[in-house]
Amino acid sequence: MSGAAHGGEGLHASLQSLRGEYEGVRELERKRRNDMPQAQVTMDVRRVEGNVSVIDVKGELTAFAEGVLMDAYNQASDGRVRAIVLNFEGLEYMNSSGIGLLVTLLIRVNREKQKLLTYGLSEHYRSIFQITRLDDAIGIHDSEEEAVRAANAA
Amino acid sequence: MTGQPRDAAHWARYTETLEVAGLRKGAGTRNVEGRRPVSPLQGFGKMWQKTFKVRLEGVGASPVEVVGAWREHFPEISGFGEGFRVPSGGLVPGAVALLAGGLTGVMVLYADEESFTYMTPEGHPFSGWITFSAYRDEDGTTVAQAQFLIRANDPVYELMMLVGMNGAENLQWQGTLRNLAAHFGARGRVETKVVCVDPGRRWRHYKNLRHNVLIRSMLHALIAPLRWLRPRSTG
Repeated sequence: MSGAAHGGEGLHASLQSLRGEYEGVRELERKRRNDMPQAQVTMDVRRVEGNVSVIDVKGELTAFAEGVLMDAYNQASDGRVRAIVLNFEGLEYMNSSGIGLLVTLLIRVNREKQKLLTYGLSEHYRSIFQITRLDDAIGIHDSEEEAVRAANAA
Repeated sequence: MTGQPRDAAHWARYTETLEVAGLRKGAGTRNVEGRRPVSPLQGFGKMWQKTFKVRLEGVGASPVEVVGAWREHFPEISGFGEGFRVPSGGLVPGAVALLAGGLTGVMVLYADEESFTYMTPEGHPFSGWITFSAYRDEDGTTVAQAQFLIRANDPVYELMMLVGMNGAENLQWQGTLRNLAAHFGARGRVETKVVCVDPGRRWRHYKNLRHNVLIRSMLHALIAPLRWLRPRSTG
């Protein structure tokens, strides 16, 4: 009996040790996942007058925003939407991969015979649109009303 | 700098045309100086997104260290060697570097600790951006990546893409990533992904031909005797 009891204790201790190691590995995994860059952006979609959708971009536009942006576009272009307006009032950070995302979005929008417009760009981001020459293809406006009017114009 | 976003220092300042600074002026800058930088939207050919990646297995270097070395040793790592002339201030945002001894060049559009991006000028074979970056993969391995979003700039370059330039470019950048891995003592396999983002050609941009650096350089060479004769006849 006592041998069995000792064996049971030994097994219990081994299980405890294994559980401890397992928890340690899980903690490392959690830490690594937290270290991984993730999308620091939210994009809310609103439908406004005349088949125009607005995407409110809040946060950072980087390569990690691709999934969020494309999901927002799919939601925004649902139905007979003629124009997509990107609201950049909440844009906090953008790198060159973010600009690349806007180009691929523009290609998709053009393929669907829609228009892509923006408003709410700060002076800094306006100058980035100029230097990257995105302003040749994406309409830049001062306010939502102006952007929606331009979207409905043609 | 109140009100300036965090990325403000990472971007080149707006400029209508390129200005070559920190490099010897002269014939070598002729095809770059005064040219406008061009995005994939101003090009002619199909739009491609090319991604080349290498996992730096067993290398302790962080993404910041990898990108720092890549930027510092770009001419050697890219294989361009002395043909890639870095301005005296380094590859900082707004800097213009010369390629192929000045036949063409690139402007540093963006640079932060974990990435840097080149933008091409009018006349370059491609219009667009090339981003070099590094990040940690899910298992903690540092991955180095070169990503292109480009179009051939004019019909001649588009034709050249079809008859081999596309493949040659791929080999060039696969070699670059292998060199980068070797720089850190690794032997990584280069993963290549090529996606045609827009199969349409922008026929209205056929006029980009007037900037084509190969044509201009050929014409320049052809009329060289006339330039040589002129000062002799007047002098």
